[in-house]
Amino acid sequence: MKKRISDSPRLLIILLLALYGLLTTGVTLWVLHDSLEQSYSLNYDDLEDDLKTLAPYLEYLMDKEDEDCFAYLEFISKVQHEEEEYSYVVRNKDGEVIAPSFAAGRPLKMKQIRQINKKGTCWLADVWGGRCFVIIHPFPTRPLELIGVYDYDYIFGDRQETARDFILVLALLFLLLLVVSWFWIIPATERILERKRRAENELNEARALQQKAVTTDFPKNTYFDSHAVLLPAREVGGDIYRFGIQDGKFQYVIGDVSDKGTTAALLMFTISCYIHSRTRGELPVRDLMKELNNLICDNSEYGMLCTLFLGHIDQETLVMEYCNAGHTRTLVNGEFLEQDAQLLAGLDREYPYHSQTVQLHHGDRLLLYTDGVTEARGEDRSFFGEKRLQAWMKGLDPAISSEEACRSLLDTLAVFRGSAVQNDDIAIIYIKIL
Amino acid sequence: MKTVIEEKNGVVVVSAQGELDTDTCAQFQRDIEPLMERKDTKVELDLSKLDYMSSKALRIIVAFQQAVVKNGGAFSITKVTDTVQEVFDMTGLSASFFRN
Repeated sequence: MKKRISDSPRLLIILLLALYGLLTTGVTLWVLHDSLEQSYSLNYDDLEDDLKTLAPYLEYLMDKEDEDCFAYLEFISKVQHEEEEYSYVVRNKDGEVIAPSFAAGRPLKMKQIRQINKKGTCWLADVWGGRCFVIIHPFPTRPLELIGVYDYDYIFGDRQETARDFILVLALLFLLLLVVSWFWIIPATERILERKRRAENELNEARALQQKAVTTDFPKNTYFDSHAVLLPAREVGGDIYRFGIQDGKFQYVIGDVSDKGTTAALLMFTISCYIHSRTRGELPVRDLMKELNNLICDNSEYGMLCTLFLGHIDQETLVMEYCNAGHTRTLVNGEFLEQDAQLLAGLDREYPYHSQTVQLHHGDRLLLYTDGVTEARGEDRSFFGEKRLQAWMKGLDPAISSEEACRSLLDTLAVFRGSAVQNDDIAIIYIKIL
Repeated sequence: MKTVIEEKNGVVVVSAQGELDTDTCAQFQRDIEPLMERKDTKVELDLSKLDYMSSKALRIIVAFQQAVVKNGGAFSITKVTDTVQEVFDMTGLSASFFRN
């Protein structure tokens, strides 16, 4: 059997996580796209100039020894002389001017000056517009110097801060997903799949059992032509039939265990084996019914009931002796057989089952079936019913073989059902007296 | 499929309504399960609003009856629609449920 991805939850989860990883990387790169471009166009010379201009003010700030020192560089005005002149003022976090205003020969992009180290030895200055630098001042006695220029904006910029948080959240989610799926989802899914597999196996075994339990070798001789079909529903049921020609008699049993699932299939199998062993001997029809009734009563701890219709046709006299235990009404040439309603098997060990007889004739056709036929439902939830079944049989060419007749009925049922689901087993036996 | 359970003058009236088929049997079984464990309960099963009953449902009704009787109670079926009556007739159960 081909192994599907859905059969391996671990592989599925890893694939999903890989997809998630790819997706989030894509989104992140897209978010950071602009910043990345800007960070590649840093102009170091400008930064050096900016720093030189600002150095006194930075030193001024350092002298404050304010642990939470935080200042803004605020643009005041632009004056046009021979050259352009831009005025700036440095304000602290409360908006107070903390240094005299100063002028620069070009617009400064530095907007925020921040002390990062509590000892006041390290200064970070954020330059808006995508450029940034770091000023390291390890010893207060040494002048400020530019140690390095970093792609600071990329890492810590406003938008980048959002992106960073975003990445962080994604990474955490990723980890969480990994942990949850590895320790919880995967084992749980595996358990569910295992249960499903087991249930399917059980169902298939029950179905196989059902198919083994029914007659597949259809007896044909110069007196009879017979055929049967068992069409199991999605959920295995307990329909059963067995028939054969023995001692000049066509013997048959058809039944329906009133439950579904493996237990029903097992009871059906037990009944089938029992019939198989009993019909070989000469046993009056009603006694066979009583024995089967006892057998089902013996298994009553399962709470199973079973409708049964059994009998035999003498190939010389064409007399049919039959016994009915709550089963559907047999059709003979499209007419219902007179069938006494007797209690279905499995309820009352003492029930006095009796048999009936009917004289059949050459050319007669019999249809034995389970309620899966009459209770088949169409798309509008209506039932196939006895009338349609009767009409089908009356409209059937009597000359066609039993096999063709069975196929015709299944086709008729399939057309009636349309797209509706077959929710019960269908069992049919078609017997032609030649 | 709907099950209405009412207690009137010491009698528990269980009304199964709609269609009792293969699919709804399990639900009906769950609905009546608590009643199957009650002691000395008089149960009346009202099937007058049951449009359809599959023979599979008989097993549940029979088990219901057996459980109620076993626990010292009484069980009867009142008011049945024709289609449902047919199922009881066909399976020979009419005699045990509708003696009168």
